[in-house]
Amino acid sequence: MGVVVKKVELSWLDRTYVWPVAKGMAITFRHFIKQLFTPTSKRYTIQYPDMKKEMPDGYRGLHELKRFEDGAIKCVACFMCQEACPARCISIEAEEFSDLNITQGFEEKRPAKFSIDMLRCIYCGMCEEACPKDAIWLRKDYEVAAYDRLSMNYGKWELMNTYAEADGKERISQDNTPSVPRRTIAL
Amino acid sequence: MDKLASLLHMTPAIFWMVAKVVIVFSAVMLLASVWTWVERRGSAMIQDRIGPNRAKLFNRWPILGLSQLLADGIKFFFKEDLVPTDANKKLFWLAPFLAFVPALIGFAVIPFGKDFVSGGITYHLSVLDPGNGMGLLYPLAIGGVAVYGVLVAAWSSNNKWSILGGMRASAAMVSYEIGMSLAVLTIFMTTGGYDPAEVISAQGGALWHVLPNWNIFHQPLGFIVFFTCMFAETNRLPFDFAEGESEIVAGFNTEYGSMKFSLLALAEYSHLMTASALVATLYFGGWQVPFMPDPPVMLSILSFLVKMLFFAWVFVWIRWTVPRFRYDQLMRLGWKAMLPMSMFNLVFHAWRMSQGH
Ligand code: SF4
Ligand code: SF4
Repeated sequence: MGVVVKKVELSWLDRTYVWPVAKGMAITFRHFIKQLFTPTSKRYTIQYPDMKKEMPDGYRGLHELKRFEDGAIKCVACFMCQEACPARCISIEAEEFSDLNITQGFEEKRPAKFSIDMLRCIYCGMCEEACPKDAIWLRKDYEVAAYDRLSMNYGKWELMNTYAEADGKERISQDNTPSVPRRTIAL
Repeated sequence: MDKLASLLHMTPAIFWMVAKVVIVFSAVMLLASVWTWVERRGSAMIQDRIGPNRAKLFNRWPILGLSQLLADGIKFFFKEDLVPTDANKKLFWLAPFLAFVPALIGFAVIPFGKDFVSGGITYHLSVLDPGNGMGLLYPLAIGGVAVYGVLVAAWSSNNKWSILGGMRASAAMVSYEIGMSLAVLTIFMTTGGYDPAEVISAQGGALWHVLPNWNIFHQPLGFIVFFTCMFAETNRLPFDFAEGESEIVAGFNTEYGSMKFSLLALAEYSHLMTASALVATLYFGGWQVPFMPDPPVMLSILSFLVKMLFFAWVFVWIRWTVPRFRYDQLMRLGWKAMLPMSMFNLVFHAWRMSQGH
């Protein structure tokens, strides 16, 4: 089926070509002046290493493994995220621990190892959706880069500290609850 | 000045000549390289971008991106200088110079300020003194030679895209040269001479007491034709068919790299400078200052510089405003619009002169 293309009738002024060019030059000049007198911080271009874009809410960036106020990991090593992950980049090793306290409720399982291969992760956020304990969040850091593949494999402690500086929390590098086999404790 | 000349064992005339050559050509070259910066920053501003601002002098001062020029220069010098295996080596080497030298020496006849008398000698502020018999025919002829640089660069690189670019450049040159020459001819006719000094002095005074007596107000049509043809002549957008980045890779300079490429780029900008100087001289009264019959020398130089740089800026400005033409549109515009327009311009002014105006 043919399509009838409507021809635009140009006025004689437009057909001279000189007048439209003059109009176009006025437009570009307006942009030139406007851009010239806009301070760099207000221009459209974000000068990346010096200025950073504030990501919108709901942005899915680098993960964080959340912690309780006393620094204990929220994750209960239920493997839900590992199952949900379409990229198969989460690997968890669970361990039992005891010495329960109030903030931890009655969980008795936690990851001994928890690693996400950031090179395989597609930042889909499925792990966040799947987590029953709200223990893994995808937050706003988008500067995930490294010089080698190995260091892109984030381990448990790295994942817990990804936003430590940004939130003003202290970095933690060991579980504050000793891992004692449960059966040694008399309930 | 005489003292300095005698210190260097030269006659004042020769000293003056050498000084002029050095100052004028280095100024044009400097302006041409600065204009690559103006082009980049200007285009960035026009398109709401920022442009080069990362290169820093001594890792400290970006000076609005001007240090990018230095970085580019250093980069070009240290780049590997490749010559394609099947290229004609001699011509390949020669071409950048063939492009660069005519673009630069076209400036030689253009007066960039008022003559002045010192110690009984008249000093002319143009590299070639007026009355040399070549006048403004010289830059036109040199402009015609400039296309050889492009053509030789294209042909010697033995590359299909290059040859296409070169062919287009020469075809565009042929079609636009005629319209341009007729427009300039009209000026020679109304001036009664083709020496730039005459052309400029004929543009002194005022027109109807409100406008400066510049040729633009007498021959706006001629100006449009001439200015358009200058775009074709300098191979700049919207007529950049020799380069044609979107269709023939990079046209005539596809195979060029390192310093040879930068020489070709510099040639383009020197050509632009010469072209804007020509526009200023022919249509905007050269060094004449409006409503000032006898301006001081410094003011006349300033006036010329302002006009020239303004037109150089217009070249940049138009480049980033107007989309490129198609090749057949260029030819149509050249033969069916520019040529009749300049013809009409010529006949009209001939008629007016015959009526004794
Ligand atoms: S964001 Fe998606 S791909 Fe990345 S770890 Fe979570 S579930 Fe896997
Ligand atoms: S992060 Fe959440 S879903 Fe994944 S193992 Fe821990 S508790 Fe389960």
